[in-house]
Amino acid sequence: MNRPVWLACILLACAAAALGQVDSEALANSQQDDESWLMYGRNYSAWRYSPLDQIDTENVGQITPAWIYQTGESGKFQTTPLVRDGVMYVTGPSNHAWALDLKTGRELWHYSEPVPDDLPLCCGKPNRGFAILGNRLFKVNMQATLVALDATTGDVVWEVESADYRKGYSNTVAPLVVNGMVVIGIAGAEFGTRDFLDAYDAETGERRWRFWTVPGPGEPGNETWGGDSWKRGGASTWITGSYDPELNLIYWGTGNPGPDLDGAPRPGDNLYSDSMLALDADTGELRWYFQFTPHDVHDWDSVADPVLIDVEIDGQPRKALVHANRNGHFYALDRTSGEFLFARAYTDVNWADGMTSAGRPILIPGRTPTDEGTLTCPGMGGGHNWHATSYSPQTGLYYFNSGDGCQIYHGATQDFVEGEFYLGSAMENVTGEPREGSILAVDPGTGDQRWRFALVSPPTSGMLSTGGGLLFAGTQEGYFIALDAASGKPLWRLQTGGPVRAPAITYRFEGRQYVATAAGSAIIAFALPR
Amino acid sequence: MRWRVLTLFLSLAVVAAGQELERSPFHGDETSIGVGKASFRLRCSACHGIHAEGGKGPPLNRGEFAAGNRDVDIYRVIALGVPGTEMPAYGTRNTEENIWRIVAFLRTFEAVGDERVDGDAERGEAIFWGTGGCGGCHKVGRRGGSYGPDLTRIGRSRSVQHLREALLDPGKDLPAGYFVVKVVTRDGRTISGIGSGIDDFSAQLRDASGKLHSFLREDVESIEREFTSVMPSYGESLSDQQQRDLLVYMQALRGEESR
Repeated sequence: MNRPVWLACILLACAAAALGQVDSEALANSQQDDESWLMYGRNYSAWRYSPLDQIDTENVGQITPAWIYQTGESGKFQTTPLVRDGVMYVTGPSNHAWALDLKTGRELWHYSEPVPDDLPLCCGKPNRGFAILGNRLFKVNMQATLVALDATTGDVVWEVESADYRKGYSNTVAPLVVNGMVVIGIAGAEFGTRDFLDAYDAETGERRWRFWTVPGPGEPGNETWGGDSWKRGGASTWITGSYDPELNLIYWGTGNPGPDLDGAPRPGDNLYSDSMLALDADTGELRWYFQFTPHDVHDWDSVADPVLIDVEIDGQPRKALVHANRNGHFYALDRTSGEFLFARAYTDVNWADGMTSAGRPILIPGRTPTDEGTLTCPGMGGGHNWHATSYSPQTGLYYFNSGDGCQIYHGATQDFVEGEFYLGSAMENVTGEPREGSILAVDPGTGDQRWRFALVSPPTSGMLSTGGGLLFAGTQEGYFIALDAASGKPLWRLQTGGPVRAPAITYRFEGRQYVATAAGSAIIAFALPR
Repeated sequence: MRWRVLTLFLSLAVVAAGQELERSPFHGDETSIGVGKASFRLRCSACHGIHAEGGKGPPLNRGEFAAGNRDVDIYRVIALGVPGTEMPAYGTRNTEENIWRIVAFLRTFEAVGDERVDGDAERGEAIFWGTGGCGGCHKVGRRGGSYGPDLTRIGRSRSVQHLREALLDPGKDLPAGYFVVKVVTRDGRTISGIGSGIDDFSAQLRDASGKLHSFLREDVESIEREFTSVMPSYGESLSDQQQRDLLVYMQALRGEESR
């Protein structure tokens, strides 16, 4: 870590300690803080596990809504709320955000910023949550900006633009605060952007480093792009990564290369698309990478949670990074080196026949998209897409959802026009074969499936596991459910009246454990009866 | 309501802007046509077919368009949608340029005209309400049953090819929400009907009499969803001429009161 960074961290820590605010130490110890939820994945390892056990497998059937907050806004609510000092901080679609009183669910403040009419969008206007440091909240806005808010008032402290939205850049990711910096990804690969990962000074908003996920001329990896295709290479970074303080490495997944379904304009492996990146947290320099799907032509982003687990694999203790990829495989990597440890298919896969010893997929011929269409499994959304996952040290299991089924992939050549879709065609559903889904519990040391809870529709929500032996999730049809984390048996459910597209959180407030989630356009907090 | 007003305003704004032009500014431009094709496949192909050959929505590859054959007519339909059909307004989701590029792509198809069916609408109407028994399940205007889809505007939203397919092989491309749910109760009874809803814990269905049934999975032996149609095929029960008459009648159903 360089000197200015240390100084900034010390200053921030002193200020935070004086005001009882969230400092770097609080973030590093977030797993032990039962009364807060301080970051997207709850801890830097992205476990989404809370030891709270007041609500357990025996009494979960008694939980009821303690309060419901109706935001009044439409769109997809995919947020992970943050909680600290009696307040819940929630982001919503279309650049909205709220602070809510934990005791009552009443609104304390509301932030909003208009979304430009000419913003090119591929996938709606969701937002996945705040990050926090000191008394500041950090969120991205759709028009590729990062904003710092005063947590007490919701007032804007600073705002910076990370990219020009008119070119197709947009942003939905929950930031990650590391070493006094706010790390954010970017979206835009569907519009032929060249993407990146950025770190900004939490105090000033000044950009501290940028890592281009598509290397430029003269940089290692640029040779994996034919001609000047790197300029439109995509590799977005639209889901929050994780961080290992010991190694001082940030782990962040990247998305598809552009154009999505037409590989002809971009011969080569197309680094670092569909990859896991390990970056030095202070400088943004690449320490290692692992590419899951070289030269992807099926839009299999690899942005899903990089979850950090110390686990035994083949009889050896490993500092592992586990990841459920959209291409239908569950992976374990060594997070110190990026070494491939193993991969296991967790849903129907018809494009690869296993992996080489280095983790490169052994391709089955005839799966490249054509004008007439090619049936390939999994479909475009996966497999496991982006939804938040959970690791429970109590059960030793890793939980994630899967969209199950195939799609017909059509490819076509198109020229690039700035700000317009650069997809190289599209997917088609198979008539009479609706895509379904499931919630999976996997042994992270082997990839063995312990249980599978079938869903009638592709999944939409993330996961939360707790010390009460529970796994909370939601469904597209509006159920918020609690499963026995050990067996997958459903123990409780509530029809919320709106799709559950967010992962749940849990926290203790005034002695009671609460479980909260977004459902439809409402935020609901559940607890046992008093 | 606030959003509806805003959406309508934005749609009208895009249309107003677009309607200043009669012809797509990208007409004949290969790059724009390629972009328009990509956008079409992303936004439109689920209903109009990946090659614009039609599906639930009319074919758009025949060089003729129901709303008019000028570029601006096509633009208007894309931007504002078609009220009373599944065609939504894309004016708030696509830029003006993007819509014009889709128009440029659609104008690349040579004019071959829509398929003409040699039939008689009056005879078709008689079959619909008489020997065909269609009106027992389908509503036209205020007349008819409600077990099957409402056909009041079916001539506006379906191609003749799709209507013929629905007549001969009704299970091939089911309308949204018309799957079959089959429930076996704990005492061995089977109850089936059109699924009003199904999820991981329950199912709701209407049986042939129109009665609603609601079941929790934990209370019954099994709940299965089948993507078949309860409608019989009319390939053998109606002659070729009767089928053509019925098709012409359905083509004429465009939202007017039941005849």
